[in-house]
Amino acid sequence: MEHLEIMFNTIKRMKMRLVKYIYWAGAVFMTLGLTQTAAAQGSGVKMNSPASIELLKAGALWLNSGNGAGMVLDQLPYYSDLNFVYGNKAGDYKLKHEGEKERLIGFSTEGGLSIGKGYVWGSFKYDNEVLRNTLYNTTMLDPLRGMPYYTVDKNISDWFRQSYSLSMKAATSPLWDKVILGIEADYIAKVGAKQIDPRSETDYYTINVQPSMVLTFGTHSVGLNFRYQNLKQESLTTNSDGQTNQDVFVLKGLGNGYTAVVGGLQSLGTFLYEGNTAGAALQYYYAADGVKILLSGKYNFRAEDVISAPSKPKKEGSVKENELGIALGAVLGRDNISRFDIEFNKKDMSGIEFVQYLDNSYEVQQWITIYNSIRSTFADQELSFRYNFFRGAEREYRWRAGAGLSYNVSDDLYIIPESLMKVENLYLGANGKYNFKLGGHSRIVAGADYIYKNNLNGDFVYGGAEPGSHIITDFITPDFQYLKESYSKIGGTLSYFTSVSKSNTAGMFIKASLDYYMPSESENNRTQFSIGLGFTF
Amino acid sequence: MKSKIKILLLPVLAGIVTISCKQFTDIAEIREVEPLSATVTLTLNLGEAPVPENFNLKLINYNERYEINKTMSASGSVTVEGIIPGIYTITASSEMSADGFTYNYSGSAVNIDIIQEGESITVNVEASKSGALVLKEIYYCGSKTPSGGSYFRDQFYEIYNNSETVQNVRGLCIANINPLTATANLPVWPGDDAANYIYCLAIWQVPNDKDYPLNPGESIIIAQMADDHKKSNLNPNCPVSLLSAEFETYVNTTSIISDNPAINMVMAFWPSSMPQWLVTVFGGAYVIFYPDGPIDPNQYVSPVGRSDKNFKVPIANIVDAVELVGNPNQMQLKRMPTVLDAGAVTVGGTYRAESVARKVKEVKENSRVIYYDTNNSTNDFEVMNPPVIRRNGALAPSWNTWK
Repeated sequence: MEHLEIMFNTIKRMKMRLVKYIYWAGAVFMTLGLTQTAAAQGSGVKMNSPASIELLKAGALWLNSGNGAGMVLDQLPYYSDLNFVYGNKAGDYKLKHEGEKERLIGFSTEGGLSIGKGYVWGSFKYDNEVLRNTLYNTTMLDPLRGMPYYTVDKNISDWFRQSYSLSMKAATSPLWDKVILGIEADYIAKVGAKQIDPRSETDYYTINVQPSMVLTFGTHSVGLNFRYQNLKQESLTTNSDGQTNQDVFVLKGLGNGYTAVVGGLQSLGTFLYEGNTAGAALQYYYAADGVKILLSGKYNFRAEDVISAPSKPKKEGSVKENELGIALGAVLGRDNISRFDIEFNKKDMSGIEFVQYLDNSYEVQQWITIYNSIRSTFADQELSFRYNFFRGAEREYRWRAGAGLSYNVSDDLYIIPESLMKVENLYLGANGKYNFKLGGHSRIVAGADYIYKNNLNGDFVYGGAEPGSHIITDFITPDFQYLKESYSKIGGTLSYFTSVSKSNTAGMFIKASLDYYMPSESENNRTQFSIGLGFTF
Repeated sequence: MKSKIKILLLPVLAGIVTISCKQFTDIAEIREVEPLSATVTLTLNLGEAPVPENFNLKLINYNERYEINKTMSASGSVTVEGIIPGIYTITASSEMSADGFTYNYSGSAVNIDIIQEGESITVNVEASKSGALVLKEIYYCGSKTPSGGSYFRDQFYEIYNNSETVQNVRGLCIANINPLTATANLPVWPGDDAANYIYCLAIWQVPNDKDYPLNPGESIIIAQMADDHKKSNLNPNCPVSLLSAEFETYVNTTSIISDNPAINMVMAFWPSSMPQWLVTVFGGAYVIFYPDGPIDPNQYVSPVGRSDKNFKVPIANIVDAVELVGNPNQMQLKRMPTVLDAGAVTVGGTYRAESVARKVKEVKENSRVIYYDTNNSTNDFEVMNPPVIRRNGALAPSWNTWK
């Protein structure tokens, strides 16, 4: 049994290494490919700027629909950009697992080009983050990713994280002028380590594949795409001080769970997460002179198992999730564009727990599951509306303005013993940017935005075994207070763009942004600041 | 070439799809939890003891830290509702005074899975007179030094005369049983009667050289090292000085360990060479007993398939037993037979400078304290901070002239 496990782990590491090699090769290929293409397309290519890329994306309803085949109908031109970013966050208005201070160094590139009447698109992103003084997160790279079964501890610690994301989309030329085939694929790999005992090392990756098809009938089109995603996470907890064991708490939702120890003979084992998602989406598209409308609906089903494996694998829990989404997007106008988006998304996740006993007989030696049931439910709904207007000017916008409204409700329940958490928020926002033309091909874009989060309702009742434990008093309750607190956010961006090539096909920009969060009840605040350097080709 | 790639890719894709489909189908059918009910019936094997009127029934799900308490009559059965499906330890207990004795009634059913509606459970209840000598307080988890280091030489065990009559601790043994720490991997012991014994890793014995009487309300302290642990070269943060301990488990003098005024216990069974009786700070399982005769260390037994040395002691000889575990999640990982201890107790971690101590049951007119002894340490013990020797006015025996 143990040999099998070692063999399994070795094979898994080899597979992960292989995937990383493929991934890096792809990233290099894509970056080189897009920049080379920019040079090759020469005078046929008009210079892109951040504002022109914003504008062309605003008019592209299919680009982020999940149906890659539909990109052909967006009639996107060639574009590509390259970004370097340095960011900082600071302040106490945050969830416990977030850093008092956070530093981000990132690099990203994105681009698309036509091949015949088809279109290909690709992106690569790398982020390196340092989170200072986090709390109550021992193992998760993203505690909010929809997984209630993970380990927390009360020691203040830094976290180091890196993530790599590689995405591609491709659409064929229309076959028989009616059928377009497409595919989207993403590979995301993340690694991270908590720096103070109980420390952890976590590896995470997802592979996502979405084959798609669009049928066109004059001004009408219908699309269909499928989705498959595979997820793996491995979280190992250890101590650097072998003399001192560390208490941890394994969460099962809403502050329920069990205490465990890292270190010693009964140390908590490695947690292995394995999940799969399958789904499908349907789209209807109408395009006529100055009008584009995309109506889409999607359904995804996710299943994810969590197994702890010190020596004998034991089920820590599983989740199943149904996700339903309906979206309506519309683009009106040619020179001046109005973009409307209405979206409704609903996620219903169930947390499953198992009753197991250890069959210690010589022939078996494993945990046997004798009962399973849904012990917790997590429901999220979001209804949002966004409107943006772009006052056109050549290939860019002269100015843009927008407003948005979003209603979110999360309703979580731990069934027995009953605990519940419900938070209902309304977000109102407005934004605007102005494109100041300077001499030649230089411009400055200045923008500002404002968001007001209005909490409509918030309720947390813990009915579990230990209402006085620090998990409830110092972690779950303060995080709930954060989630239900109203706030105002003001933000501003400033960017400078200029041409850097004689043929005016490549540009460079620098940009800076600042966001400031002011909660309505507490004295805390949070500031986010970033500066970036980028190129367009 | 393309067809070869297809041939290679197809099984991989088929495998992924098959695994995903199985995961989906396995998980899709799982339904929401519903509370269950179960019927508990008692079977009384009380011998000559009188039958008490009522029993306290307790259903404990250690994984969930969930507990249901009911009162039931000695005859008949009771239906318990609102049970979370899971694995339970079910205990029935009572107490009664008659004929000048205190009788304890206890029965337990351990690791009972209640996963279906309307299950029937039978608990066998036996009666015993309260033990005379009890393990009153155990300090096992150690403490932190001012520099944050781990200190474990301050462990002690207090044994108390909980009865109305004088007890003699001459030849009394204390031992920790195998396995050392709470674990799901229990050893398999040889012999058809293996269940009639407990298996000791090490045994220390009060010298058999003379009588060591213990009056009601008096206690003896057995220290791993009967020194003042607050000394600067030991651990100024330590909560206890054990200079007044009656006995110590002395092995060898080192730069740290000295031979203190306490009487040295006899190393009756000591198969592993160690500089001190360092028992696990995660919580061992302890027994005190009077052996039938001299302990011959050569008469050891080993678990099936292993060669480590253990000394087996009949359960009938055990005077008192306490099961300690590392944290509440290990409560169901029992090593101690439930007839000796139906529960377990923990301070919940290591180096916390906390002890476990018996709860006070009653205080007699002369301030003598009687402690709970229901053979269920979950009920009988509580966590104490800081550890204190001779808590609640327990007296040192008169022959301790260095107290």
